Amino acid sequence: MVVLREGMCPGLDENIVRDLRAANITTVEDLVASDTEELAQKCSLSYMALLAIRRVLLAQHTAFPVSGADLYEELLSSTAIVSTSVPSLDKLLDSGLYTGEITELSGGPGTGKSQVCFAAAVHTAHQLKQSVIYIDTTGGLSASRLLQMLQVQTDHVEEQMEALQRIRVFRVFDIFSLLGCLHTIRCGGLQQASLGGGSVKAVIVDSVSAIISPTLGGKQNEGMSLMMQVAGALKTIAKDFNVAVLVTNHVKRGAGGELQAGLGLSWSHVPRTRLLLERSKSPGPLLGSTRTATLVKSSRQPCHIKAEFDLNWVSGPEEGLLGRKRARDSSDS
Amino acid sequence: MKPVSASPLSPSVKVKLLNAGFHTSEELLQLKPLQLSKEGGLSLEEALEVQQILSRGVDQPGEGGARIGLTALELLQQEERSIVTFCSQLDTALGGGIPLGRTSEVCGTPGVGKTQLCLQLCIDVQIPECFGGLGGQAVFVDTEGSLVVQRVADMAHAAVQHCSLQDHDSEQQEAMKDFTTENILDHLYLMRCHDYVELLAQVQLLPDFLVRNSKVRLLVIDSLAFPFRRHFEDLSVRTRLLNGLAQQLIQIASQHRVAVVWTNQMTSQVRSGQWELVPALGESWGHSATQRLLLHWSGTQRQASVFKSPSNTERSVPYSVTQHGFRDAPHASPGASGPPRREAPSGGLSGSKRPRMQEGQ
Repeated sequence: MVVLREGMCPGLDENIVRDLRAANITTVEDLVASDTEELAQKCSLSYMALLAIRRVLLAQHTAFPVSGADLYEELLSSTAIVSTSVPSLDKLLDSGLYTGEITELSGGPGTGKSQVCFAAAVHTAHQLKQSVIYIDTTGGLSASRLLQMLQVQTDHVEEQMEALQRIRVFRVFDIFSLLGCLHTIRCGGLQQASLGGGSVKAVIVDSVSAIISPTLGGKQNEGMSLMMQVAGALKTIAKDFNVAVLVTNHVKRGAGGELQAGLGLSWSHVPRTRLLLERSKSPGPLLGSTRTATLVKSSRQPCHIKAEFDLNWVSGPEEGLLGRKRARDSSDS
Repeated sequence: MKPVSASPLSPSVKVKLLNAGFHTSEELLQLKPLQLSKEGGLSLEEALEVQQILSRGVDQPGEGGARIGLTALELLQQEERSIVTFCSQLDTALGGGIPLGRTSEVCGTPGVGKTQLCLQLCIDVQIPECFGGLGGQAVFVDTEGSLVVQRVADMAHAAVQHCSLQDHDSEQQEAMKDFTTENILDHLYLMRCHDYVELLAQVQLLPDFLVRNSKVRLLVIDSLAFPFRRHFEDLSVRTRLLNGLAQQLIQIASQHRVAVVWTNQMTSQVRSGQWELVPALGESWGHSATQRLLLHWSGTQRQASVFKSPSNTERSVPYSVTQHGFRDAPHASPGASGPPRREAPSGGLSGSKRPRMQEGQ
């Protein structure tokens, strides 16, 4: 639904626009859909001129076809896989977060969603020396925790500080600020953020449900539209700038009491890969640090494979857990 | 090229603009208000408002770092201080106490000490800076009518006593002159809300209050759950209101350098034939607070569990409530950390409300 305006394409001048309006043709769609010969007669315009305008407008408003071979070529040259730095999760994700895609972590409170986000951010900033954009919507980002994770990896204070500088944090608490923020990132914010060195390789939104759920529920349906705006913006950023997008989501119980990712069906189509995190059901104390991750949606691996990981994998004194980590893969499907 | 559909405009105006063929806010801003009202089918006032709202988003590149963001390093330098709880083990578990700029939820069954912890924090936040405190003030939003002023006065008196034992230099002696029970009560602002509408309204007005009283460092809502556990026929409305409230509170916390603490009740949940105690307001509410503290009984011992926290590992520590306030457990037995939720129903809960044994002597 793009309105016809003068100067949109060569030949479309004020008079033609006025004549077309008189014939009830106001948008590009109207013009393209109407019969050009009939229209030329009705508005007493030159058939050739109208045909030329139509051709230019069609070219301007259609998608450009790309061959599969070209796409594959581009894929090979530009796709990167960003590791989450948790070996068992990487295995589930087929070696990590893919750029150009949205990956989602869903799980109940305290199941380690933010911790995985922190770990991925720290890994990208420190090991890969690339920038990260971290959009914090719950106030849950703890810089001291990031530092703690970095201290395990390196003793050099300078390297730690450099890595912290590569993580750019946006704090937004309502949906319009989030859309505004994503919009800034889209037009230039990404370049600005990468000034610290390295290009932006990951955009993390923790959590996307905290910001969307206040607009859903009751008899309001505008929330749906806003949710899809967010989804669209995230997908565009992922594709256009070739970055890995990681979002977190809450969970709810389905009719049978089983855990489901939140935000409903329409959102479930947005992430390409989805992981469900849970506390491990172990006989030990309730407040254990092991978590189970289940692959719920994926286009690469069979769904419902599980892996266990330990939240203490990067916290100082209990080192050595890294080696002992159990990656118990079992396919239920 | 910001799309119109993603702008903070009312839905009806958006529909009109989209039908008129406007897609980006730049297109709208190029027009004169009169032109816009004619082409978009809006009234002149609406057109003016649309342009005002949209230009607000475009013209201000600054907005206090919100647009370009901060690096994690800058964030680390800003990382806030904490309010001590007077229970040294809990402080350690929380990494120094209740952090400023974040939200914390305290859940627990009746009588386990939620309100006591909140009151203790209201007093501790006022400890002068030379004693290692924050020298702040506190706001207490009371929805249950649970604030007993006499109890606050007792706890304040104990805190003053505690500090006066430690005044060594002249600066501290000077500070002690202002740190009195009267002043503590003076700097505790009480707001009473009777139902959820009043509570939501109060939270809307709080940012203004916090600007006027810039020394406030603590906001307590006791309890958040109570007004939301009745009067709701449509639960999805409740969820939406609660989620919105949580986002507002975290916004207040981060913009005004305030620690926000609220209490939540417990409810029983039946799952596969067994029942257990879980925090009220539903599963998804558990995400709302930055950190979650679970107070529960373990036999006759009160225990606090850090259940969700971005910066601390989960653990349980014992504490006690004495006549002086919220304190360390008398004979700390660190080994006694049983599974809290499973043990709770069989312990003191099913019987009397407060199985107080030797505490407070």
